[in-house]
Amino acid sequence: MQTTLAKKICIYLAAALLALVIALPVLWLFIMSISSSTHLTTLPLEWWPDSPTLENYRSLLIYAENTPSQSFLYAIRNSIFIALAATGLSICAAIPAAYSFSRMPGPRRKNLLYAVIAIFMLPPVALVLPLYTVMSALGLLNTHFALIIVYCSILLPFATWLLKSNFDTIPGDLDEAPIIDGANRLQAIWYVILPIARPALGAAVMMSVLLAWDEFFYGLLFTNDIRSKTITVAIADLAAGRVADYGLISAAGILAAVPPVILAFFMQKTLVSGLASGSVKG
Amino acid sequence: MSSISLSNVTKTFGAANIIKGVDLSIEDGELVVFVGPSGCGKSTLLRLISGLEEITSGQIHLGKKRVDHLSAASRDIAMVFQSYALYPHMTVAENIGFPLKMAGKSKAEIEAKTNEIGTILQLLPLFERTPKQLSGGQRQRVAIGRALARDPQIILLDEPLSNLDAALRVDMRMELARLHRDLKATMIYVTHDQVEAMTMADRIVVLRDGIVEQVGSPLDLYLTPVNQFVAGFIGSPRMNFWDATTNENGDLLLPSGTALSLPRKLTAHQPVTVGVRPEHLVLAADDGTAALQGTVLSVEHLGSDTFVQLHCGFGDPAQVDINVRFAGIVPVRIGERVNLSVASLDNWHIFDAEGIRVEAAQ
Repeated sequence: MQTTLAKKICIYLAAALLALVIALPVLWLFIMSISSSTHLTTLPLEWWPDSPTLENYRSLLIYAENTPSQSFLYAIRNSIFIALAATGLSICAAIPAAYSFSRMPGPRRKNLLYAVIAIFMLPPVALVLPLYTVMSALGLLNTHFALIIVYCSILLPFATWLLKSNFDTIPGDLDEAPIIDGANRLQAIWYVILPIARPALGAAVMMSVLLAWDEFFYGLLFTNDIRSKTITVAIADLAAGRVADYGLISAAGILAAVPPVILAFFMQKTLVSGLASGSVKG
Repeated sequence: MSSISLSNVTKTFGAANIIKGVDLSIEDGELVVFVGPSGCGKSTLLRLISGLEEITSGQIHLGKKRVDHLSAASRDIAMVFQSYALYPHMTVAENIGFPLKMAGKSKAEIEAKTNEIGTILQLLPLFERTPKQLSGGQRQRVAIGRALARDPQIILLDEPLSNLDAALRVDMRMELARLHRDLKATMIYVTHDQVEAMTMADRIVVLRDGIVEQVGSPLDLYLTPVNQFVAGFIGSPRMNFWDATTNENGDLLLPSGTALSLPRKLTAHQPVTVGVRPEHLVLAADDGTAALQGTVLSVEHLGSDTFVQLHCGFGDPAQVDINVRFAGIVPVRIGERVNLSVASLDNWHIFDAEGIRVEAAQ
């Protein structure tokens, strides 16, 4: 196919536009985070602060009692712990679940799968009241455990679906070959199926962490102090005082994006797919 | 290596009877080929032996040990899959060593054994590659190498050559036959390719609809098929069949009306089906003694052989009813009328109304 110059220009323009739409808010967030609060409230608005400052970052990252930094640093800790724990539990349960949905289909499993998805589709607001009552009765409000359980209920169906659709693409012979070679079912999954499904597994981990990291609604309702507040709630809290310090909020936003970005950086190799080719046939 | 015996093995999936009572015994070191049309149950039978499917009833013995209740992993049977099923994330060496790793062998033992197999199969230079980087024939050899790793009692091969191109298939066929001789391995081989079956097998098992139709050496099956199905299935081009009857003496009545006295007398006035292989028909003089007379519908010259299709008056005049394979170049033309006779009296196959071979009248 011949690509004319005009066509090329159009494609690059569209790509640039898309990149701009995605990058501009982040850029603006960054500019806000290095501006002083007086600068941000100056009219008319200036696009670049004349004296960029890292003060906002300093006040978030250097720990001191009863300051935004205390709430922020605890929230980061809580979020990392909750997101990783919920992801870990969900993936551990999703792998055998997805495998059985994929390899041992039947009307009962199929119905179960659709039930899982139907529940996943329910808006959180429909579930939050009964959940709140249950958590309250169990004395779990304002604990990590409550959020981990709730997040698992969100992540598990998602991860199960994602893994199941990937397992479906792995030829059945690759289940049977290790069995013939003397492996049991769990060894077959561990040594053969999971390594082949590594890109999907990486994607499931990545998306699960992000889902848990970004969750706000349950976090807001089920937590109330620094012991279990998550980062999304902590950032919202920064805006809830008498005076909203937009520079501080922006800096918190930028910092909150750092852990997922680091995770994505380390997982990008895993996310590259194409491992399954060459296993069967010529 | 070990012998294997199946007694009255059946398999049903829901309401469908796939295997309907198979009795079979395979000797130590034998290469047995399962053949049959698609859906005859040959692959299912292989999976039952491997343990990937559970039998519904019956017994399977490996040597003296009953194995039908054991899991596939503990039967000590290896299998080469039609798709090879190599582990894509492992190197060739890891693929071959995988069964040993599962058996809990030490690193040194695994390395020694994989090197031994790599030498036999000429895979050593490829040991660090992944399956993706191999050609079809090389993948096939790795799959065989993995099957050999554990020194299994039996090696099962499920249409192992069907994914290779024609030239490679011939090479691999010879290599497999050589391996079988060298290792004295008991092998069960499933194929739908007659040439593979005829050239490789010590014995062939012909299956149809989950039933063993005949077990025998390739030439047994070719020379004395027990029924019309086996007669039609073994041999290419297919055996010619036509309906006929016998006269009051138990001689076969030919289409020309003359009676043919076969070495074995048939029952008088019996409707029979006559079978003659295309390669057993020869041109005959027009003196009234010919077995068949027909009009040539098409001629194919292959140099080594000449395939001729004829209409001999058994049905629709436009339809071919007799195929002939002449050795060498035979000058026949389309539309010509030719006389055919059968090379030897042993080449006549007679089947009764149920399709069972008629040996001799009582």
